[in-house]
Amino acid sequence: MKRNWGGERTALAALACFGLALFAAPLWLLFAQSLVSAEGPSFAPFAEALENRAVRRALINSLDSASFSAIIALVLGVGLALVLALSDVRGKRIMVFLILLPMMIPPHVTAIAWTQTFGPSSPVLGLFGLAPPPGTPNPLYSRGGVIALLALQHTPLAFLLTLAAIRVLPREMIDAARVSGAGPLRTLVRVILPLLAPALIAAGALVFVAALGNFGIPALLGIPGRYTTLPVLIWQRLSAFGPGMLPALAVLATLMAMVALAAVCIQIALSRWSAVRLIGIPQPPQPFALGRARPVVEAALGCLILGTLALPLLALIGTSLVPVFGVQLSFDTATLENYREILWRQGVTARAFANSTLAAGIAGLVLALVAVIVGYFAVGRAATPRRFAAGFSTLAELTYALPGIVISIAFILAFLRPLPVIGISLYNTLALIILAYLAAFAAIALKPVVAAFRQLDPALDEAARIAGAGFTRRLWRIFVPLMAPAAASGAILVFLTAYNEITVSALLWSTGNETIGSTIFNYENGGNTTLAAAMSTITVAVTGLLMLLLDRLGRHLPPGIIPWRI
Amino acid sequence: MKILNSALTGLAVALIATSALADVSGKLVLYTSQPNEDAQQTVEAFNVLHPNVEVEWFRDGTTNVMARLEAEFAAGDPQPDLLLIADSVTMERLTNEGRLMAHPEADIAAYDPATMDPEMFWFSTKLITTGIVYNTAAPMVPTSWQDLLSPEAANQIVMPSPLTSGAATIHMVSITGHPDMGWEYYQALADQGALAQGGNGGVQTAVAGGEKLYGMIVDFLPIRAAAQGAPVAFVFPREGVSYVTEPVAILSTAQNPDAARAFVDFLLSREGQELAATQGYLPAHPDVAGPAGFPARADITLLPFDPARALAEDQANKLRFSEIFGG
Repeated sequence: MKRNWGGERTALAALACFGLALFAAPLWLLFAQSLVSAEGPSFAPFAEALENRAVRRALINSLDSASFSAIIALVLGVGLALVLALSDVRGKRIMVFLILLPMMIPPHVTAIAWTQTFGPSSPVLGLFGLAPPPGTPNPLYSRGGVIALLALQHTPLAFLLTLAAIRVLPREMIDAARVSGAGPLRTLVRVILPLLAPALIAAGALVFVAALGNFGIPALLGIPGRYTTLPVLIWQRLSAFGPGMLPALAVLATLMAMVALAAVCIQIALSRWSAVRLIGIPQPPQPFALGRARPVVEAALGCLILGTLALPLLALIGTSLVPVFGVQLSFDTATLENYREILWRQGVTARAFANSTLAAGIAGLVLALVAVIVGYFAVGRAATPRRFAAGFSTLAELTYALPGIVISIAFILAFLRPLPVIGISLYNTLALIILAYLAAFAAIALKPVVAAFRQLDPALDEAARIAGAGFTRRLWRIFVPLMAPAAASGAILVFLTAYNEITVSALLWSTGNETIGSTIFNYENGGNTTLAAAMSTITVAVTGLLMLLLDRLGRHLPPGIIPWRI
Repeated sequence: MKILNSALTGLAVALIATSALADVSGKLVLYTSQPNEDAQQTVEAFNVLHPNVEVEWFRDGTTNVMARLEAEFAAGDPQPDLLLIADSVTMERLTNEGRLMAHPEADIAAYDPATMDPEMFWFSTKLITTGIVYNTAAPMVPTSWQDLLSPEAANQIVMPSPLTSGAATIHMVSITGHPDMGWEYYQALADQGALAQGGNGGVQTAVAGGEKLYGMIVDFLPIRAAAQGAPVAFVFPREGVSYVTEPVAILSTAQNPDAARAFVDFLLSREGQELAATQGYLPAHPDVAGPAGFPARADITLLPFDPARALAEDQANKLRFSEIFGG
């Protein structure tokens, strides 16, 4: 009996083109540089790079900060997700909303806000007279500061992934355990956590890889604290020495890629060992009653959330209200001049918001669709598509682990000259930024969708095939609806990451194609901390509004698409 | 009568047409290391005189701008028409590589010939010096570069890095070329725990915010900020200050050379120089008054500077600097 391969072949071919153009070609261009020396192909650049003390130190610091921050973020994120999804605390929607809000704040803005909270001219501490005297080094400019802020930045990521996974759990297992008399702790340890294991491992790997490639936080905290990580080293060297350094930098990028690859391999191995095929409709379990512990838990959660959110936001707003950095905030000195400058005089702000929204939106939608197709092939019966999907996922995760700077260099080299058939150069257009986002953030959309596909019962697909449904019909009638929560989570995550980011657009932006991150970073670099703070405050406000809008929309959507509507 | 009417109309149309032809138009791309607001103001002032030109600008530290430009040269497709960056050493390098277009018609008669390229490839627009900034809460007020080596300044010094800032690159060459200071001075600074990071903007933020009490910085940032109430003050040290002249140049691959020449003419004109003064810079034009807070030009001692040596040793200097200060 001949299998009807038509729709699947087209999808595979389209995926192959996508992967080639966005992952393979630019990366190949970049890595080819690391295997070339004056005499031709050789490994000499690798050996040379590792001899350098600064590189060895940066590699160790990268591994160190990524591991520790991943552990902290995982513990915090999973803990919060478990408490909020499984217990009966009140005000869940608001708490989830507030937990996810720090993820919206770009990492370099987080770094600015927190350093201003603890610095000698802190508006918040200064109000209470607790500000350290001038000349005191900021405690965040240290290894501890980098790890702490990396953990804070990525806790919402782990939280979101765990939440999405809990939603896909079938209720029967947990109900069966409780009916049999298991208490909440025992159910948690013996039933829920093992069922969640693949998702937790995926979350851990994603958070590790995210911390490895993070640029904003180590750049702003690590450089003053003499704690350089690999992305920062690459950025410094590239900025200072130009493309002449590309061979050496390609080596560093390859080093990072190897670490990420190792993490991904470990994750795949662990996932296979812990994966369980579940039967039944995904349904969130009955909440556990906390009884008298409930007010305590609610108070603790409230303090944690407000502490990690309110303090830095207040410091940010305080800085945005002073005329020039260093002036103490008071009723006399407070001014709205910075906001006036940003909103009315510099047209760049409105452009930046529009560009970032458009670019991040397109990236989210496209990547969600791609993730569903890749997920379908990843768990399918046929060997070649499965290997292809696995390869695609690995490529995507490698690209995600690379610092945005490296991706943008690769894309500049690949797309500077006009494209062969169309004859238009994509350089200095928003299209190039969108393409770079597609490459850089594919892993974010793939993870939840592929994890959800692994939990899917293959009987549904087989029943549809036997009934004669073609690939496209099966995709739209079965997989897209089933995967909608996971895919939408992925799309929203991609949107929020791309909306905030700086490292990809730092070298790809140009006038008319500014992004939010590049505008804030440029203000800061030019010494305009007050303008940067004002724009950051506006960004946070707009993001908060966007989330509220999504919330209103969520009333009409199936449960699970909007992450914080539990 | 009809013929006269048509003749007059024809003449009027011709006059309008030629005046429209006379004004430059089109797209102009500028790569600059000026701070954002200053770049925006400069472009807006230029547009008042030439409203038909649409200026797109890209801003970053000089070293970063050059990295971007080098990437574009490597791919064979440089974007900008104009460069307005910190230092003339970079301009000399570009001239030697044949990347710049001369503008022989530029009017530089009033300027000091030492600040202008004799072959008219690049033109200085300002005089920006690098000196010492200190937080007004600091116990010791420095008057010389050697004061930064005193015990009160230990772990309290921040400076811009040549890996980002063109002005810092020139400063490094001036200091290390000085007989009393040299590379030993930088080593001593590193032993003092001095932090070398990013650009001058970062130094201003650190000192104004009180995280560090002393810094090396370009003059206009702290002088401007102090006028608005920031707790900082700028010092021209005894030995002298290093200087950059923020030159402008047209690239040989410029797509819109007419508009580029108009922009250069604007920067060198009286209006352009007075704009620089209102922005807080010391203009290069000797007859245009500097802003308040600056001493008279004659009172500023400049450190000796060898551009040829700077060009030849650029890469080696930057590597040595990053080894001393840990990148």
